[in-house]
Amino acid sequence: MNSPDERAFLADIEKPNFRLSQLEGRWRLLSVTWPHAYIGVTAKDSREFVVRFNAQGYPHSPPTACLWDLERNEILTPDQWPKSSGGRVGAVFNHGWKQGTALYLPCDREAIAGHDNWRTEMPSKIWRLEDGIVQYLELVHELLHSRDYRAIAVAAA
Amino acid sequence: MAKIDIFYQVEGITDIGHCELDADEAFTALKAHLCKKHGIVGELLIFLEDCEEPIQEIVLMREHSHPHGIKVHVHRCLHVEVSVRFNSETLHHQFSPSVTVARVKSWAAKKLGMSADDATEHVLQITGTHDRPQPGAHIGTLTKCPLCQVAFDLVPDERVNGQSDEEGVK
Repeated sequence: MNSPDERAFLADIEKPNFRLSQLEGRWRLLSVTWPHAYIGVTAKDSREFVVRFNAQGYPHSPPTACLWDLERNEILTPDQWPKSSGGRVGAVFNHGWKQGTALYLPCDREAIAGHDNWRTEMPSKIWRLEDGIVQYLELVHELLHSRDYRAIAVAAA
Repeated sequence: MAKIDIFYQVEGITDIGHCELDADEAFTALKAHLCKKHGIVGELLIFLEDCEEPIQEIVLMREHSHPHGIKVHVHRCLHVEVSVRFNSETLHHQFSPSVTVARVKSWAAKKLGMSADDATEHVLQITGTHDRPQPGAHIGTLTKCPLCQVAFDLVPDERVNGQSDEEGVK
């Protein structure tokens, strides 16, 4: 039998707001191997970044997430991370922070630890369990469509 | 008979709803379904997302079907009075309740002479709150009849380290 956190997560990805974004190609569920969920998020250059969520304790405890290489089954190598022009993207997708094991977002379980100041400085990005995984995905999707996002160069075949 | 996915948003309710109906039915069937499901009484208008006028209820739903189904809004008013404040300027406009927050932002950015790229560094925040409705939210979900008003501030989407990313904003 599934644990309560897994049941809550599976219920949230059945909700219309998750499914509609999936139908519109903004993100798609790839697989769930509890406590991990793998969700592809589409950037403005149509590249898909796989985000691996660890949703242990969901939704009362926020998830933590990192960028994942499904083929190698490990954290995405730094040269494949989203590129920034020195703004918001690089602050969140920072491979140098915790070796890339978490995204530097206030709604991330690992990132919020020790950053109580974020609760007053950026309350809109603090985890809201009523919005659940969609809140986290919306923030990631928004960054991947921001002015600061730069596509990585793809080597010629 | 083929079914159609219908994603709907309702006056004053922030959650997105979903139902599945026969594609060959008219929008009257959707209206009846939603009235029954949500216990709504009185005159209701159904709008397609981002459309200024309510849909003619005799129209068949399949005529407006997309790969993702149909996105509609259910409201009692024809318009929502929207204001957007940015620095010392305040813009005003009447929108259909089915207009998305993303479209309101796009309209405001254009009026303010902001490029589409610069607009991606700003978000609409409900005045007097920290609430930043999702881009796909219909403005009709943020207000109720007979008030039908929404006031936003257009604010920079701050960097997580706390600095605003204002460079390059014209």
